[in-house]
Amino acid sequence: MQHYPILSIVTLFLGAFLTVIFGSKNETVRKFIALVASSISLILVLMLIKPVMIENNVIQYWMGNWRPIHDWAIGIGLEVDSLGLFFGIIAVVTIFLSIVFSFRYTEKDSETDKYYVLFLMLSGSVLGLVFTGDLFNMFVMIEIMTFAAVGLTAFRNYQEGALEAALKYLVLGSIGSSLVLAGTITIYSQVHTLNMAQISALLFNNLTPSTLFAFALLLAGYSLKAFVVPFHPAAPDAYMSAPSSISMAFSGMVNKAGVYAIIRLVYVLYHAMSFKSIQLLLIIIGTITMFVGVTMALAQNDFKRLLAFHSISQIGYVITAVGVSTALGLTAGLYHALNHTLFKGLLFLTAGAVFYATGTTDLNKLGGLAKKMPQTAAVFLIGAFSISGLPPFNGFVSKWLVYQATYQANLAPVTIVALLVSVMTLASFIKVAQSIFFGQMPKEFENVKEVPLSMRIPMWIMAILCVLTGIFPNFVTKYLISPAVSAALNVGKYIDIMMGNGYAEKILGKPVEIPAVDYVLAGYWNPVAWLVLFALLLLAVTIVAVAGGFNTASLPVDGDDSKYEVFFGGEANEYSHVKGNDLFWGLKYDLRHYFGFMHDAHSGIINDYALWAIFTTTIFIVYIFLLVP
Amino acid sequence: MVVLSYLFYVLVFPGLLFSTIVGLILSGIDRKVVARMQKRIGPPIIQPFYDFFKLLGKETIVPRTASRKTFLYAPVIGLLALVTVALFIPMFKFTAISTVADIIVIIYLLTIPAVALIIGGAASGSPYAGVGISREMVAIISYELPLVIVLLTIGKKVGMALNNGAITFSLSQIVNYQAQYGPMITKWSLIPAAIALLLIIPIKVGSVPFDIAEAETEICEGPLVEYSGVPLAIFKLNHAIKMFIMTSLFVTLFLSGKGTGILIVDILLQVILSAIVVIVSISTLKAITARLKVEQVLKFFWTYPTALALLSLILVWMGF
Amino acid sequence: MILVNYIACIILIVLGFYVILTKKNILKIIIGMGLVDYGINLLIISIGFNPGGTAPIFTFSELRPESFFVDPVPQALTLTSIVIGACVTAMALSLVIKIKEKYGTLDADKVRRLNG
Repeated sequence: MQHYPILSIVTLFLGAFLTVIFGSKNETVRKFIALVASSISLILVLMLIKPVMIENNVIQYWMGNWRPIHDWAIGIGLEVDSLGLFFGIIAVVTIFLSIVFSFRYTEKDSETDKYYVLFLMLSGSVLGLVFTGDLFNMFVMIEIMTFAAVGLTAFRNYQEGALEAALKYLVLGSIGSSLVLAGTITIYSQVHTLNMAQISALLFNNLTPSTLFAFALLLAGYSLKAFVVPFHPAAPDAYMSAPSSISMAFSGMVNKAGVYAIIRLVYVLYHAMSFKSIQLLLIIIGTITMFVGVTMALAQNDFKRLLAFHSISQIGYVITAVGVSTALGLTAGLYHALNHTLFKGLLFLTAGAVFYATGTTDLNKLGGLAKKMPQTAAVFLIGAFSISGLPPFNGFVSKWLVYQATYQANLAPVTIVALLVSVMTLASFIKVAQSIFFGQMPKEFENVKEVPLSMRIPMWIMAILCVLTGIFPNFVTKYLISPAVSAALNVGKYIDIMMGNGYAEKILGKPVEIPAVDYVLAGYWNPVAWLVLFALLLLAVTIVAVAGGFNTASLPVDGDDSKYEVFFGGEANEYSHVKGNDLFWGLKYDLRHYFGFMHDAHSGIINDYALWAIFTTTIFIVYIFLLVP
Repeated sequence: MVVLSYLFYVLVFPGLLFSTIVGLILSGIDRKVVARMQKRIGPPIIQPFYDFFKLLGKETIVPRTASRKTFLYAPVIGLLALVTVALFIPMFKFTAISTVADIIVIIYLLTIPAVALIIGGAASGSPYAGVGISREMVAIISYELPLVIVLLTIGKKVGMALNNGAITFSLSQIVNYQAQYGPMITKWSLIPAAIALLLIIPIKVGSVPFDIAEAETEICEGPLVEYSGVPLAIFKLNHAIKMFIMTSLFVTLFLSGKGTGILIVDILLQVILSAIVVIVSISTLKAITARLKVEQVLKFFWTYPTALALLSLILVWMGF
Repeated sequence: MILVNYIACIILIVLGFYVILTKKNILKIIIGMGLVDYGINLLIISIGFNPGGTAPIFTFSELRPESFFVDPVPQALTLTSIVIGACVTAMALSLVIKIKEKYGTLDADKVRRLNG
């Protein structure tokens, strides 16, 4: 059992290696290798749920059997606690579904062996990042991750902007990595260890200016990896140009790796959440992130770019909730991270399906696809309702928790912004629904077909998971979220594994009790509600039946009976589709100065983006020096 | 037995049947009052029933460009969400579902009918509907901001009195508070919030001057342009029920209290108060104003009602 | 002198960031990234340095309490970091070649088709 974590990581890297050797000629071989590697990894990680999540152990593994000498870590160790495993589960599920999706999705691309090699490297590095117990190893993994991600962004280099996006990602990513590296070694110079448990124990109540400086650098670096505003501008470019299966992996796990690192940093390494000023910092950047992300998304005209800005916005929810730092807040944050992986992965897959079927994701060119691709449209609607937080889908649960957590922490402005952002999210998905799936269909898409089964299966799995996590929040919190929250708030266990039993209790005091989240408050999460729901659904079907929903007589016949034409002011019908650009005129007009400013700010020039990143890092450093004691 | 009682709640009272009847009556009252205000005689109060049953008998036409299933299911989903909300809103001491109902759930459930209208309109494929859904969405964004602030204000006010300062989002606690301390409207710090909510009700039910989404004279009822027969009847019904739900929510939030203790009387009282709110907030505005432009709606709601609601929020946080 | 090392590495890092922020040529931006990298590598090495220490090559039997040597860990870190830096530079340069082919320019102000 203690070998599972390392095996799950190594399988993926080995898969990448084998693909290089055996997969370069034969398509089937490389698909087989990728599928086997990702499913082994999936199974191994899922088998860790029982010991880690339920029995609450921390699994430790020393690479090369370099065990600590005199309680001093000299080798690289893996330490899997429930926080790491939570993100690990998110990662492996994303990897597996994304691989299955890409089998057919990449069939028009040449040299897919490179695709699988890079993808498996990306997967392995994310898994390594969340399982490792060594700060420098985290840096190495985050570098491999950035490296593979850049390669994958440029994979379709014939596409408009793919190279440019990759370069921006690379420059910004390496600024982030440099900050992380500088922070890591500054910590090392103070405590002379890289083992995170030891650092955590040594840094408790022992903050020197150097470690604070390191904290600011690490926070900025990991924020850049999580694409928090204003470190974000590389993200929409990269998500937009990468293949959709990769965009899904980006928003599902690469993003989450940054979030994981931030949580690990502020909760475990620095115990920083006792400082009001750090909480405030996270809440402020989180709120800005969610607002800027969603307003930028409203103005986009490309499906995937719009989704990318929503990724940024949803990460804002996560960071805000993490910043609230109560047990409820952290539960909200982690739950939203899980949900974001599910619904955003689903939405990116639908974007991929639309691209596969039509060859474009431009909102102003598409229209009326719901008739040709009914299943894609259905899962898209599930994803859109989930991200907009409509009950009973999963987004509602986590957003509800975010509102509760922020309002209970006396942060009314944040709650108001969060609710407003939620409505704007809905608005931008209405825009997508209208301009891609509904409305009238342009002539050139007459022959569009539904995507093949192997692409629909991952989408349906995601959609079903979206519904399940929405209607069984009790189980999800009990078995996945609460252990992870407990691991973040009770660092003692993590330290004890390294430093010997009872060490942590001496310095940290008693562990914090994690209160169970009371979903009764949400009104309808009780068994009786099931009955009501069932009755309601029955009612719905009955009404539709009465309305002639199953009556073929009301089907439009193919003749030219003009009563089945769309009303067109009494004139003959002609093609007129209300496109993405045409929507929300009043909103765009009233906020034109804001939208204009934001459009100009995202100038696309690398130097500007680098300036934002470095400037914000400086602000972090100054803020932390001034306001943290 | 439990099963039967819940089926009764869903189908008869306070679910489908009750809210249908009350909603249609309220909408009849609204039409009559507006007519009288404009010195017309107006239709009989049960005219909405006639309209509803007439539509039920008409043929359902699904346009060729429409996505059939979405087109037909959209109105029903909206109706279900409204019925669900009706189960959650307490009428004085009475609630159908005894567990704590929550304001945020209500906000989101009330969004669903609007989303259903939008999706249904989009699915019809008509350009008029396309313009209509765009406007409907702008309307949602406009009113959501003040609505949220109003509800948070009330949550804070109640929480400060009952929960040792911690907020509450629970509707039954709000009713309890009013039973102890008198109706919410009597607290002077909440009067701006009440006015803001009165301004929000017309846009939420989509009546003049905020009916930009369905503007008959400009875009031929927008999202509804292609609907006919039963689906149209259900959308009209949704409209009526929404009117009842919003006014009933206002009554529960601001005018509730102990009640009389007799169930029938309480419900009658709730309905009568709702009718008064309809007259005050919907009919009066409808009779004296003309439709606003799209961008004026957003500007209006993000300035005056938001400012009023914020004023209340700040006053409540300061402890008044 | 160890202080000189720290000053030098700070100068390198600041110069690197300066180049990234002000130079419009993409190649120069990549050189800037390299400068930051080298600055940080120098910083790592300096942290592990003990004036007067010997090379950290011992077996367990030779290790005495009085033996005085430089910290080996940062040296290992530097090696890793150099390798990663070289990879990143290679990747960036290959992208630059492709960009030059496709856009016909290396001016950062012109390589901005994705914006807004």
